[in-house]
Amino acid sequence: MLQKIEEVKKQFALDVDAVVTPKDLEELRLKYMGKKGLITGLMPMLKDVPNEQKREMGMKINGVKTEIENALASLTESLEAKRVAEQINNAEKIDITLPVETGVGSLHPRTIIQKEVEDVFISMGFVVDMGNEVETEFNNFDAVNVPATHPARDVQDTFWLNNGQVLKTHTSAGQNRILSKYKGTCKVVFPGRCFRNEALDAGHENTFFQMEGVIVDENVSVANLIYFMKEMLSKVFKKEVEVRLRPGFFPFTEPSFEMDVKCPFCGGSGCSTCGGSGWIELCPCGMIHPNVLKMAGIDPEKYSGCAFGLGFDRLVMIKSGLNDIRALNSGNLKILKPFKLNI
Amino acid sequence: MRISINWIKDFVNLDGIETEELIKRFNLATAEIEDVYNMGESTKQVVLAKIVKIENHPKSDHLHILQVDDGLDNLTQVVCGAPNVREGMVTAFARVGGMVNGYKIGKAKLVGVESFGMCCSEQELGIGSDNSGIMDITTTAKMGTLLSEIYPINDVVFEIDNKSLTNRPDLWGHYGIAREFAAIFGRELKPLQTEDLSAYDKLDKLNIKVESKNCYRYSGIAVENVTETRSPMEMKIRLNYCGMRDINLLADMTNYLMLELGQPMHAFDHKIVNGITVVEPQTDVDMLTLEGETHKVPAGSLVICDDNREPVAIAGIKGGLKSGITDQTNSLLLESAVFDAVAIRKTVKKIGLSTDASVRYEKSLDPETTPVAIARLVKILKEIDGGIKVSSALTDVYNFKYPKHEITISYNFLNKRSGVNLPKEKVNAILTALGFELSVKGEEVSVKVPSWRGTKDVSIKEDLVEEVLRMYGYDNIVPESMSFNLQPVEQSKEHTLEYKTKRLLAEKYGVSEVHSYIWNYADFNKANGIESESYLSLLDTSNSGQSGIRSKLTPTLLKFASENKNNFETIKMCEIGRTVSGLNENKIANEEHILSIVLLSSVKSEKDLYFELKTMLENICESLVKTKIEYVDGVTQNYYHPVNSNLIKVAEEVIGEMGVAHPKIKENICPKHNLVCLELNFAKLCEAPEVKTTRAKVSKYQSVDLDFTFLVPNGVSYASLQNIISTYKTKLNMEYSLKDIYVNEQQNPEHKSFTFNFVIGAMDRTLEAKDIEKFSNNLIEHFKTNGINLKG
Repeated sequence: MLQKIEEVKKQFALDVDAVVTPKDLEELRLKYMGKKGLITGLMPMLKDVPNEQKREMGMKINGVKTEIENALASLTESLEAKRVAEQINNAEKIDITLPVETGVGSLHPRTIIQKEVEDVFISMGFVVDMGNEVETEFNNFDAVNVPATHPARDVQDTFWLNNGQVLKTHTSAGQNRILSKYKGTCKVVFPGRCFRNEALDAGHENTFFQMEGVIVDENVSVANLIYFMKEMLSKVFKKEVEVRLRPGFFPFTEPSFEMDVKCPFCGGSGCSTCGGSGWIELCPCGMIHPNVLKMAGIDPEKYSGCAFGLGFDRLVMIKSGLNDIRALNSGNLKILKPFKLNI
Repeated sequence: MRISINWIKDFVNLDGIETEELIKRFNLATAEIEDVYNMGESTKQVVLAKIVKIENHPKSDHLHILQVDDGLDNLTQVVCGAPNVREGMVTAFARVGGMVNGYKIGKAKLVGVESFGMCCSEQELGIGSDNSGIMDITTTAKMGTLLSEIYPINDVVFEIDNKSLTNRPDLWGHYGIAREFAAIFGRELKPLQTEDLSAYDKLDKLNIKVESKNCYRYSGIAVENVTETRSPMEMKIRLNYCGMRDINLLADMTNYLMLELGQPMHAFDHKIVNGITVVEPQTDVDMLTLEGETHKVPAGSLVICDDNREPVAIAGIKGGLKSGITDQTNSLLLESAVFDAVAIRKTVKKIGLSTDASVRYEKSLDPETTPVAIARLVKILKEIDGGIKVSSALTDVYNFKYPKHEITISYNFLNKRSGVNLPKEKVNAILTALGFELSVKGEEVSVKVPSWRGTKDVSIKEDLVEEVLRMYGYDNIVPESMSFNLQPVEQSKEHTLEYKTKRLLAEKYGVSEVHSYIWNYADFNKANGIESESYLSLLDTSNSGQSGIRSKLTPTLLKFASENKNNFETIKMCEIGRTVSGLNENKIANEEHILSIVLLSSVKSEKDLYFELKTMLENICESLVKTKIEYVDGVTQNYYHPVNSNLIKVAEEVIGEMGVAHPKIKENICPKHNLVCLELNFAKLCEAPEVKTTRAKVSKYQSVDLDFTFLVPNGVSYASLQNIISTYKTKLNMEYSLKDIYVNEQQNPEHKSFTFNFVIGAMDRTLEAKDIEKFSNNLIEHFKTNGINLKG
């Protein structure tokens, strides 16, 4: 009996070495551990063993059985490891540097910047409102205190329509409607397309974007305006900017200012973006003229407000690096498509 | 406008202030200085020299060989071509190594003769307009003295942006600018030296009649016995540095006064013009102006006539040639007038002639200045030509006076509006320096606006806030945050969705957003057979090139598509923009907010493209506006395919159209590509009612999958099959989807096979075979009653 056990052991040691594939392994398992396997075959032989040796022999058989089981398990493991290793080694190296097409289209550069700027305003508690492109003479001029004889009303400057309306010449055309809506405290920004009857060149468009905002409350001051513009522009340019006010003149504000931003690209030393002056003229602004408040039904003694415009296309040109403003309305996808979703 | 600092210094002492500081403070307080010119800087080593000897050039009939004494030990030889050389003449001489208005002087050989320097004319030096010969200088100074020591050729000239002076009629002359500098730097503004014209009150008045309300004031005086014809060099330099040519003394005087006080003046030859009548003629007038050009002045314009009603000048714009000053003029009739700004502007536009005078009149000049300008001119003219005689009393017709503004303002208001605590003394000092008259009453101050600020510029409290703050210095205001309130703000749905829609189309479907003009491209549309109406047109098309305002957006995108087609295999374009769909009963434009999408492909089929378009539309509806769309026939625009096109309907309302392009138009625009387009009313889409989607109930018991294939006659739409299913009544949970459409052209060309997958179940149990059998039989029966049979 003992001899038989030793033979099985020896035989197993020989058989193990011959195992190469998972199939060999399975055959080996069946040969020893299967129903008619060699180990299984040892058990019936126990009945011929004398009683006093039965326990010892039983333990021996179990010992061999465990040994073989362990050997089979580790063999399984190493064969599996070998299989995986081969699979890895045989894999084709993927050249991840090859180009892919994301299939992403493009937003118009104005839309991209507009969203950026609107988000700044929204973060400061503003409502974004919309306006018309075809406006009445009243909204475009009278309601914002433009005198009846003002040259801006000339056909040479304004696109007049045959029904007496105009293509709005500035976003200020929306002021009356918006101020009338709130009748007092409000923070509103209104982007829109504007039109001027002028010849096109690389720096001038007859169809362009502006963004205008108003803040009305009791006791809004010039100091408030400067604070707000500085904060807002710092967010827009994503860095702390320096601003300065110069006197300006607009019929709808009094006092009126031109707000310059110290050139965020050269820091004020002069570059091509700022035309060497160190400052970029970007925001006409001012305190809302009392006549404009009155025409919207707001008491200028109780309320004051500031209004500001953003030379929006200028900002788009600066941020996008385009040097011909006509590209914006061209529909030329060679120029517009590469903008994708961000600038 | 150009401003000479030498001239400014006549009126205000700017000692100790650097030019840089002048520029910076003026920019921040008053107006933008665009350029700074250092005049005289590029003229070097130009000295006085006497012509001692003149010889003819041996080989030239116009050149002379001069020996000049330029103050050095030896005479210097110069070859000179000027016709006015004479021995003993003192002239301006540029030495070798020197520079004449930027032009370097070196040794030269002129037709074989050596020349060491250059004798200069006024024009060559940039200080006068005379180029008829070299300068002929009368002086007691030593030869060799620098020209800059006897004439003020060194000066700093500021170019001020005219636009920034639009609303400041008082700043169109040096005296007004000097007042600003005085106020900015806290220096005294010297009073203007003028002739006391009351001394001539006893003389006869001129015959001046004003027949138009657009002539606010007309002041005149007559002067005779003028003998000088040339202006002094100092005056010529200032005129030329400020961008005007010198002509003759009297013409120069009027220009000088205009540059000094901003008041345009005109000198008529008194021998020709005896009296003045200001009229608005009923008919057009031909006027031959001083420049020798004839202008047709339209009826209704302001015209200056003499006392015979003969036109002598276009009021406020240009004088006539016949009555103008010549070198022979020795008596003059001087005009100093103010006209209505709009009347002048209209005439300028009509005749297309804008002058230094008209530019000023368009700003609404102060009528109070007219007699002051005359008194100033007479004063200066007397200094130049002591022999002149004033031969009339000041004659003054003053028809329109601006109201005098007096504004009461509290110091508290100033502080509130500025956000700065302004010391009262500072406020008072600033306003006084600018010419406002103050009377302080406790916490308030009553402010009289000076006439030169009262024509349109300053009339309300807020104007004074500006005056005080700009002089106080905007850069001295400490920025201050606003108090805030904690109300949530609600954003416009339409505006928010506009961005989201563009973003969705770009991000998920590769669409590119474009912006286009608001007008129709009539030529493009016509050439390609696109019919697109227009309900509004531009009055002036010189810059747009087009007149009709678009009622549809898509035709423009089709134009863009056509322009881009050669560069791309596939084009996907969208725009959200405005159109005008008509006029309301008050003739006000119905403006629409429109989305248009155009897809082109040279590889995809029309059907695939059309479904791609549908996918985009349904995604917008599903993920952004949560509404449901119906497609019905009946498009209106001729660029859609008559069969493969649809109206887009939301909640029973048609909001747009879509379709494959009409084959003819497609061939015209892009024969190698397939083309589909869509246009819908974006505002209406945003307003569409939200359709609540019902979610199927989920049972914990197993469900059963069943496939049914029906034979569907051609022409029956999927929507009608959906309709059949939706009317099938069962108590079971039921969901279904279209699995496949199969067409067997050979065996059954009349039908298509639609395979549906049904998933059925119950909430409370697992279905038994009989449940399934009942469901199937009833369903097949239901289809059958609707005319559709199960296949096989």
